Amino acid sequence: MLLISWLSLFTWSSITISPLDALQALYQFDQDSIAQHIVRDLRLPRVLVALLVGACLAAAGVIMQGLTLNPLASPSVLGVNAGAALGMALVSTITPWFGLLGTTMAAMIGGGLAWSLVMLLGSGWRTGNEQGRLVLAGVAISALCAALTKALVIIEEDQASAVITWLAGSLTDARWQTFDAFWPVAVVGLLGASLLSPSLNLLQLGDDNARNLGVSIGFVKLIGSFLVLLLVGASLGAVGSISFVGLLVPHMAKLLIGQDHRRFLPIAILLGASLVALADTLSRAIIFPMETPAGAILALIGAPFFIYMVRKKTL
Amino acid sequence: MSLSTQQLSVGYHQKAIVKHIDLNLPEGKIIALLGPNGCGKSTLLKALARLLTPMQGEVQWQGKALHKIPSKQLARQIALLPQTQPIPEGIKVKDLVAYGRSPYTGFWGRTNQADQEIIHQVMQETGISELAEQLVSELSGGQRQRVWLAMTLAQDTPYLLLDEPTTYMDLNHQVELMHLLRRLNQQGKTIITVLHDINQAARYCDHLIVMKEGHIIQQGLPTDVLTRELLKSVFSLEAQIHQDPIAKTPMCVVE
Amino acid sequence: MKLVSYFFILSLITLFLVIANLLFGAVSVPLDSIVDAFWDHTNPNHFTIHEYRFPRIIIALLVGAMMALAGALVQGVIRNPLASPDILGVSHGAGLAAVIYMTFFPDAAIEWLPLVALLGSFLAAIILWRLCGQHSTTVKLAITGVALAALYASCVDFLMLVKPLEINNALLWLTGSLWGRGWTQLSLLLPWLVLIPAALWLAKPLNLIHLGDEHATSLGTHTNTVRLAALAIAVGLTASCVAICGPIGFLGLVAPHLTRKLVGGRHQALLPATMLVGAILLLLADLAARTIDPPIELPAGIMTAIIGAPYFLWLLLRSK
Repeated sequence: MLLISWLSLFTWSSITISPLDALQALYQFDQDSIAQHIVRDLRLPRVLVALLVGACLAAAGVIMQGLTLNPLASPSVLGVNAGAALGMALVSTITPWFGLLGTTMAAMIGGGLAWSLVMLLGSGWRTGNEQGRLVLAGVAISALCAALTKALVIIEEDQASAVITWLAGSLTDARWQTFDAFWPVAVVGLLGASLLSPSLNLLQLGDDNARNLGVSIGFVKLIGSFLVLLLVGASLGAVGSISFVGLLVPHMAKLLIGQDHRRFLPIAILLGASLVALADTLSRAIIFPMETPAGAILALIGAPFFIYMVRKKTL
Repeated sequence: MSLSTQQLSVGYHQKAIVKHIDLNLPEGKIIALLGPNGCGKSTLLKALARLLTPMQGEVQWQGKALHKIPSKQLARQIALLPQTQPIPEGIKVKDLVAYGRSPYTGFWGRTNQADQEIIHQVMQETGISELAEQLVSELSGGQRQRVWLAMTLAQDTPYLLLDEPTTYMDLNHQVELMHLLRRLNQQGKTIITVLHDINQAARYCDHLIVMKEGHIIQQGLPTDVLTRELLKSVFSLEAQIHQDPIAKTPMCVVE
Repeated sequence: MKLVSYFFILSLITLFLVIANLLFGAVSVPLDSIVDAFWDHTNPNHFTIHEYRFPRIIIALLVGAMMALAGALVQGVIRNPLASPDILGVSHGAGLAAVIYMTFFPDAAIEWLPLVALLGSFLAAIILWRLCGQHSTTVKLAITGVALAALYASCVDFLMLVKPLEINNALLWLTGSLWGRGWTQLSLLLPWLVLIPAALWLAKPLNLIHLGDEHATSLGTHTNTVRLAALAIAVGLTASCVAICGPIGFLGLVAPHLTRKLVGGRHQALLPATMLVGAILLLLADLAARTIDPPIELPAGIMTAIIGAPYFLWLLLRSK
């Protein structure tokens, strides 16, 4: 992870930055070097935001898969992303620009509403063999939210550009103030996720067994859902719609470490952070010097994996 | 012999379930296929109805291989009632029965006067005339089974193949069905049916074919076929053979 | 007979919507001057009616009918209430192929677009078939289709981001809109109309396939041939529509369902009726899309998604 971050600090820049500059900017800051200024003011916050976003989305994916016992559960598949986008679009087109905190809240509320609808309609709380249904409900809600978002964007053209950038999920505009608004929420969410992981282990045994072992199912699910919203809302509010990290990373972590949530949650967080940082680095590389949003790259990696998961899993 | 098999092997996924069977199915009789689960009786029936393609050998109809006969022509000779039926949505009973006429109708599926008469007649025969306007999906299980039977009968074929037709029926409907099969047989139809209940087969059928592990063990009249030894070797059953006090057919009573 | 009255009412609604579509929009044209405006070159509304609204309405009629027909064929063959070309990723496959074509050969003739789309949708159908096989459950087939659709969509997004110069052309086309479609596009669509009688020809065997393979075979149907033919026609219909309007979501899913509620499941009635219902839905969607906030237009595809996604959810709830 550290390696990728360091790479990301100096590679594919419009102005040449040496690897050494990248390190010096951190430890011995030189006021006169433009390269070091770029690293410190643009690259560093960007990398940090990327890492945090990856961590948050991965943790959210772990929680969602743990709560629903559904290997396909993740923010983008179950409609949270699209709902959050709709919330953002509503706030930024109908009422004037609220600033980062306002949109984050809107994203959280929209995502929360979409997710609860999906869980209700797809009977997601009844853990069992209804896994495919849940996913299809998520897809339908996503389609609905996406259509409404597009309609809003077209009708309220003057506010549209912000939403469109946001929809693509790009880290280009991540600055220190993004990071400042983002990190407290992210840290709270990640801490909460770690605290929840022992209960998630027990939930894997099925509701009845978990209840026997003294887990308060309703409470765990409520807290879990809230944490998901916190994590997803915060990261979507900061950088926009980034999909498939929440789906992909928990499975990678499980492959590496095994099924114990207490152990694979931290690994998933690290993996998620590296993945998004890597995608962001690549996003500058693909058609240098222009930038391709990291979200688009992740979607390209993620969709085939999604298909692979559907195939492997007997639904 | 109209329907026969030559060295027929058939099964699923390269695995033969029915193995090298030579069989002549006597015309004008009610024939029962019997045997324990997995013996291949349903598979054999499906091969006779060309639902399964033989892996070796062939099924012949009037000396001609089944797959060489145009399917529409064959559909006027052999009809099959499978074991389980789908529940089609949005189809009325009379429409479903009319589908049985499709081997005779043109491309748009229009029925003429003669078709309508046959449809009317089979609906009466199976006792579903008053259900004509209802949707198939809204019927009870027993009613639905009779509707499907009516559709198969509307196909108006000399050969009628049935796969465990009584399994999901109430007892009174089972008896009704067997009597109906008798009547159809007297009208000249050859009926080949897979049955679960040995006594039912012995009572209503003229010819029993007993199978085990893909081979035919014994066939012939019920009185000749049903013996203590056969029941023991095929069904692993210790049973006595008595005479049915009413029908005078053999009846096995488990010890 | 009841069936006849349904057809009569559906045709009446279609006619009514055609007229409404002619009348309303950014500029309202009075009813009594429509015929005049169509024929008379000096009429101030001649351009609006003749060059703009009229061909567009015909395209909406045809595309709606063809998409609905494709959906009915697919649902008839797969016996899966959640199936339709757009859920199964066929539309998006066609879309991806067309976007690739337009981004890499921006100067190429648009006459080839339907064929390119056809190629894409056939590939998408084959990929889905290879992934799922014949015996997949309803839900698995739908999810795989949706996942493939997501993949194609993200490829399209990616292409548009990588090749931003061609973006306008592609974006305009991609949204599933009838905007700016005129006589040229209409003429591209016409050859594909032969698929409609071909589809109707399959009405009878489709009925029998609806009864399950065992019954269908026993009644003298070549099940695999019918299946292949129906799917090929459905793919062709979808591709030609997508080539003109881009993927219009949920139409192929919703229209056959609504129609089945009205006229029942016999394909002799279902196929023609669903074409009318599809045309009605698309005309309605386009009318709404043009009149909600004039002069801004929404793509009709967005309107169909707003109606269609809840309907899909309802179906999902109901299907056990």
